[in-house]
Amino acid sequence: MSTVQQTTFLRESVAFPFCKGCGHHHYVHNLDRAFAALQLDPQKACIVSDIGCIGILDALFATPHTFHTTHGRSTAFATGVELADGILHDSKLKSVVVIGDGGATIGLLHVVNAALMNVDVTVLVANNMLYGMTGGQNSGFSPLEFVTPTTPEGNIVPPMDICAMVKSCGAEYVTRVSATDKNLAGVIADAIAHPGFALVEIVELCTEFAIGRNKIDGKVIQSMSSGYEPALLPTTFARKEFCEEYKEKVLGRPAKTKDDTITQKYISSLRGAKRWVIAGTAGEKVQLSSYLLMRAGILCGLHATQKNDNPVTQGSGFSLSEVVMSSGDIHYTGITVPDAVIIASAEGLKEVTVNGTFARCAPSTVIVMEDSLPELQSPARVYRVPMRSLCTPLRATTSAAAALLARENLLPREAMAESIRLHVGEKAALYEQDIEKLLPLLA
Amino acid sequence: MSTPRIRIRTGNQMVAEGALHAGCLFFAGYPITPASGIYKSMIEELPKRNGVAISSPDEISALAYCVGASARGAKAMTATSGPGWSLMVETVQYALMTELPVVIAVVQRLGPSTGGATQGAQGDVLLTEYCTSGAYTIPVFAPSTAAECFEVTTLATYWAEELRTPVVVLSDKEIGMMSEDVNIDALHAWPVHQRKSVPAGENGAYKTYDFASPADVPLFAPVGGEHKTTITGSAHDKRGALQKNSPETIAVLRHLQEKVTARAEEMAYVKTDDDPGADTLVVSFGITARTAKEAAAQARAKGRRVRLVNVISLFPVPETLLTAAAEGCSRVLVAEENMTGQYRSVIRHLFPGKSVEGINGFGAMITPDAILERIMA
Ligand code: SF4
Ligand SMILES: [Mg+2]
Repeated sequence: MSTVQQTTFLRESVAFPFCKGCGHHHYVHNLDRAFAALQLDPQKACIVSDIGCIGILDALFATPHTFHTTHGRSTAFATGVELADGILHDSKLKSVVVIGDGGATIGLLHVVNAALMNVDVTVLVANNMLYGMTGGQNSGFSPLEFVTPTTPEGNIVPPMDICAMVKSCGAEYVTRVSATDKNLAGVIADAIAHPGFALVEIVELCTEFAIGRNKIDGKVIQSMSSGYEPALLPTTFARKEFCEEYKEKVLGRPAKTKDDTITQKYISSLRGAKRWVIAGTAGEKVQLSSYLLMRAGILCGLHATQKNDNPVTQGSGFSLSEVVMSSGDIHYTGITVPDAVIIASAEGLKEVTVNGTFARCAPSTVIVMEDSLPELQSPARVYRVPMRSLCTPLRATTSAAAALLARENLLPREAMAESIRLHVGEKAALYEQDIEKLLPLLA
Repeated sequence: MSTPRIRIRTGNQMVAEGALHAGCLFFAGYPITPASGIYKSMIEELPKRNGVAISSPDEISALAYCVGASARGAKAMTATSGPGWSLMVETVQYALMTELPVVIAVVQRLGPSTGGATQGAQGDVLLTEYCTSGAYTIPVFAPSTAAECFEVTTLATYWAEELRTPVVVLSDKEIGMMSEDVNIDALHAWPVHQRKSVPAGENGAYKTYDFASPADVPLFAPVGGEHKTTITGSAHDKRGALQKNSPETIAVLRHLQEKVTARAEEMAYVKTDDDPGADTLVVSFGITARTAKEAAAQARAKGRRVRLVNVISLFPVPETLLTAAAEGCSRVLVAEENMTGQYRSVIRHLFPGKSVEGINGFGAMITPDAILERIMA
């Protein structure tokens, strides 16, 4: 901690790199005055600068941390610094984003999101209404009729009002001032001191590119900055800073101790691999049935994989799941020739046809399908069973899989029963009844 | 031996578990299939460990938040897929230039553009590696199982911290979204490692990017700590002062590559399934490495001598290990699920005088038969 009062954070007798008369001179001096007025510990101050003429101010400062970032993204980097500081550390660091109107145009979302979060970042927008460093091109902040090398007839798109924008995002400290305002240092100091998101738009002149083309001077700037919606400086703040909110509402969430460890309890006679496809309608527990099957296999010491597929939207159309169970490691996780295919609905049937599963069925394949579906031409052994009416659509694929498993004698029946029981509790008895009804139909 | 404890996990979940094991305390995410599972796991788990897991409004913010948090001293990670990676590239370069460690899990899907969100692919090998101006080496590690997702993420975190650079875990849809049995007693983790920090009490003398020899990694000081830091993505000298092309600045830029190159041998990691008398080497990685194993088993059953290499450290290219693996082989088959043989194009020069052939798939997993046929040819 530094104990000596610091009157300036700038490097000793440093020459500013800005053009004569450029508003950035006022910006930098007043930022420095604000730091001094706040008596910030420079170790707890970080200037996060953007790209552009104003962005190179980092080199002018001697003591605070400086973080010179990419174009427009400075606010996002500062947000990351503050999240880590406020939640993982003691929240004492103050991050000040130094950004131009160009950076605020390309990186608007980061400013908006920091405002929405109310993270402890202070954004000081140097708005000189154009891109100075690259030759004076118009920006999203250029006023109407503003003449720049890229708007030679005068700008025909209205400028954005970033103050109104962040205010609409719940920002509580927002103001707009001229770079020559006598109270600029005080305004910046208040913004930095504010324990949450703050934004100050500092209206400036780029003497190199704005003057000459436009009838504009300091007086015009003064009137422009006060001509906007008046700056809003509330005296009471309703919102909690983001990190405080996060620590209170999210951190220390009780660790759910649901232990989902499985240890082998049963023995399977399976040698080699079995590859099953289960297809049906979204919302009818297709993926759950594969999971229970996989779990049963693991209870028997087998290796298992499960892959799910569904349309881009999650809750409609088909649902398809592939399970591989094997006594050895499962290397290839796909299914060339399926050992079993369970088809519970028209959506499922359509999908196994479209994705090629059906065409890859061989005489060794067993197909168990809902009997109301159309007849199939397949070399596979096909069992048509009324699984939807016998078991209800929600239990159809699980019960059909369990019945086929029992009939093929791949796993002890108790393994699948345990897997089902663990998931549905006492309703497991219903599945037992389903299996009893299905077994004779698979003979 | 007691009965192994098994858990059903996706590769995405195991990436998250690997990150947590490695001490990751900061995650920022943006949803994208097939990587969202990592985001969800971290949102569930990090707050329980007093860490930060946060939603961001886009991938640019996600990585920028991570890099900002890394500058404050946190181990940070994000996860995305090809389209999100494209947005992150500017910030990946920034992390590299500013020597701020971060881990990015890229779970590949079918491209280009928004492509096939739920369709697997291994088509982002070159996109991830060659995304920087100047083609600096970005360490890229590829897992092929859920258990390897855990291991590789601990390894990626180790190297990100050790090298102070962005490191990629290059997974894919199949590995990321598939569930499989994971023996949690057999998981392998790399040592938990922290970037080396500058000792206390030398304030004033600290240079943000100081090194004695070009391969050295500068000592870290956090933003907000006692040492004044000068972080910049612009060409800079050892103090972090912006400079055009002073000899010191060019030395700093060269050092960014040097520090990685110098450790290439140490980072090299492949898993070899050897047959000393093999005449054919199959090189693969990620999901296809599993398929290659199956094909090799079938080929061996038919009497064919074949050696397999599953490349975990795709970049820096494990040149010595690959060259050694090809010894005695007249053919090198490179199997990967992309159209043009991206990794093959990078490694083929390692095998002069040998026939280097591609086994490529596109739009679907490569089948064991497709690899077997080429082994037997
Ligand atoms: S170009 Fe414009 S903004 Fe840049 S330093 Fe000169 S006057 Fe200032
Ligand atoms: Mg500007």
